Amino acid sequence: MISASQRFWFWAIVWVSVVTLSAPTVVVLGASFTAGNIIAFPPEGLSLRWYEKIALARDLQQAFLRSLIVSSICMLIAVPAGTLAGIALARYQLRCFNGVQMYLLLPFTIPLIGSGIGLMMMFGRLGALGSLWPVGFACAVINLPFIIWSVSASAAQLDPDLEHAAANCGAGRVQTFLYVTLPAVMPGVITGSLLMFILAMNEFLVSLLLVDARTVTLPVQIYNSIRSIITPDLAAVSVVFIVMAALAIAFLDRLVGLEIFLKSK
Amino acid sequence: MLEETQSSAAAVGAPAHAPPTVRVREVSMDFGTGSKAVDRASFDLSLGRFLTILGPSGSGKTTLLRMIAGFQRPTSGHILIGGKPVDAVPPDRRSIGMVFQKLALFPHMTAAENIAFPLKMRRFDPAFIPTRVRRFLELVRLDGYGNRRIHELSGGQQQRIAIARALVFEPALLLLDEPLAALDRKLREEMQLEFRRIQKELGVTTINVTHDQREALVVSDEIIIMDGGFIHQHASPALMYRSPADEFVARFIGVSSLIEGTATVGGLMLAGVTLAGSLSGSLQPGMAARGVVRAEQVRIARPEVSLAGCETVLLGTIADVIFEGERLLYVVEVPALSQNILVYHHDPESAAVFATDAPVSLGWRARDMIVFEARP
Repeated sequence: MISASQRFWFWAIVWVSVVTLSAPTVVVLGASFTAGNIIAFPPEGLSLRWYEKIALARDLQQAFLRSLIVSSICMLIAVPAGTLAGIALARYQLRCFNGVQMYLLLPFTIPLIGSGIGLMMMFGRLGALGSLWPVGFACAVINLPFIIWSVSASAAQLDPDLEHAAANCGAGRVQTFLYVTLPAVMPGVITGSLLMFILAMNEFLVSLLLVDARTVTLPVQIYNSIRSIITPDLAAVSVVFIVMAALAIAFLDRLVGLEIFLKSK
Repeated sequence: MLEETQSSAAAVGAPAHAPPTVRVREVSMDFGTGSKAVDRASFDLSLGRFLTILGPSGSGKTTLLRMIAGFQRPTSGHILIGGKPVDAVPPDRRSIGMVFQKLALFPHMTAAENIAFPLKMRRFDPAFIPTRVRRFLELVRLDGYGNRRIHELSGGQQQRIAIARALVFEPALLLLDEPLAALDRKLREEMQLEFRRIQKELGVTTINVTHDQREALVVSDEIIIMDGGFIHQHASPALMYRSPADEFVARFIGVSSLIEGTATVGGLMLAGVTLAGSLSGSLQPGMAARGVVRAEQVRIARPEVSLAGCETVLLGTIADVIFEGERLLYVVEVPALSQNILVYHHDPESAAVFATDAPVSLGWRARDMIVFEARP
């Protein structure tokens, strides 16, 4: 049995965690609805005027559109590459398995500023800076391990004889991949794709190094605004980000169920 | 030499003119680990027969099955299915249905889609697929379950879907890779009979792989016993049980006692005692040998009762009594052999049940103890 004091401490820990984790979201959410002219929590009165402002701001709209393009390019590159790599990693015995494992740890060990500078120099040499595709490409490269993980976690749960069973049913190699292997790892592919989309949408540091005045993405645009004057419209933009992430998670839950997403991490 | 006598034994009961559906000729598999996984295995299997390859884990039975399915290529030797060599034929071009150990059903498809998959891949007329799928759902007694997802089905139902998927395109050969191993005993025995029923109904030639000797005896027309990559014996279940080819087979099938000694004319000699038995094969008097006597062939009685007809009679004491439901197993300590002998006593309800420490006399007929050459 749990005693009354144990119960008290359990709930105390739970509430401290909930408050700590949700505080930034709650604060920015509250601040975005302020009627005043400065960013503040609790908000001074309630209004949607800052949402109106960002909805009408041309530079924000364009930055948002550019971020969507960057995310799409990133997914276009990362989803096929990550899916194939993830399946290979889980289903076949690879000679360079340890090397790949190291690569999968890179996002945690190499600071983004390092990879960002490298990419900047590379694209500068190629004369590609100033267009959007290098940003999308860069996001795909630095975040690729996340989709590989997600797919290989899905593939590792499959019966090792699944592809044999498909061959036994008369399916050739290509048919086996299209009709059996790929659909069976689809939960991992969907999870990974959404993750790649959100990560590319939010990517700031690498974007900062690769964009110029004509190609600012949304996170960079927000950063530029902070440097001049912090107004509540930034809180409203942040809320837009939070809503997008929440939508992605809801979408994921509908498609594959959240258990799979949590298990794949 | 051994094999020839055995395959002629196996052919008993099969129509003499039927050509073998499966011919395995001197097939070996070497994974490069020192010993061969399969070592020059040869056998024939006639149309419509149910063969079980029985052996402990690591005996090479699954490797042999996977070579027949086409997932692994033999290091040497040939496999013929329906009279044609299949050495260069990939698995998807062989007419073989298979039920896998963990079933390998497609998780993203419904039960009916799983069954329809081989028909689609093998380009059956699409108009005819739904009818065929329904017929096979009925065959495995799951009509109405077609729209269920795989994870919505119980273990036994998943087994049935896997059988239907393996058989729906009417393959020349059905392979079963220990699909029942993970089931609990009751369901396993039910499914064994179910496999047998379906196999008989369709008349499909079947190769089953298992380590469960009971399953092998219950379901098969023929049994092959494998160990260490070798085929030890290929015979009908009854023949295998009654006249095992060697000591391994004798020990693997049934419950037996093993007695070490030296072969003599008419039996086995040890420590001044001679036990009546029949010498197997090439065994010569004077060679180191092991006698094997099955627990149900040893007669047991009170010491003063004479065991008529038994050439060997020994005195002993009951060391342990194990109740197995339909029978009792006595462990009898025999001082003359300085070892224990296992004895089955059927009809345990009768009054003639011995208690621990009771003195008894044991006996067996000469033909019930087979003496084999002692292998290390």
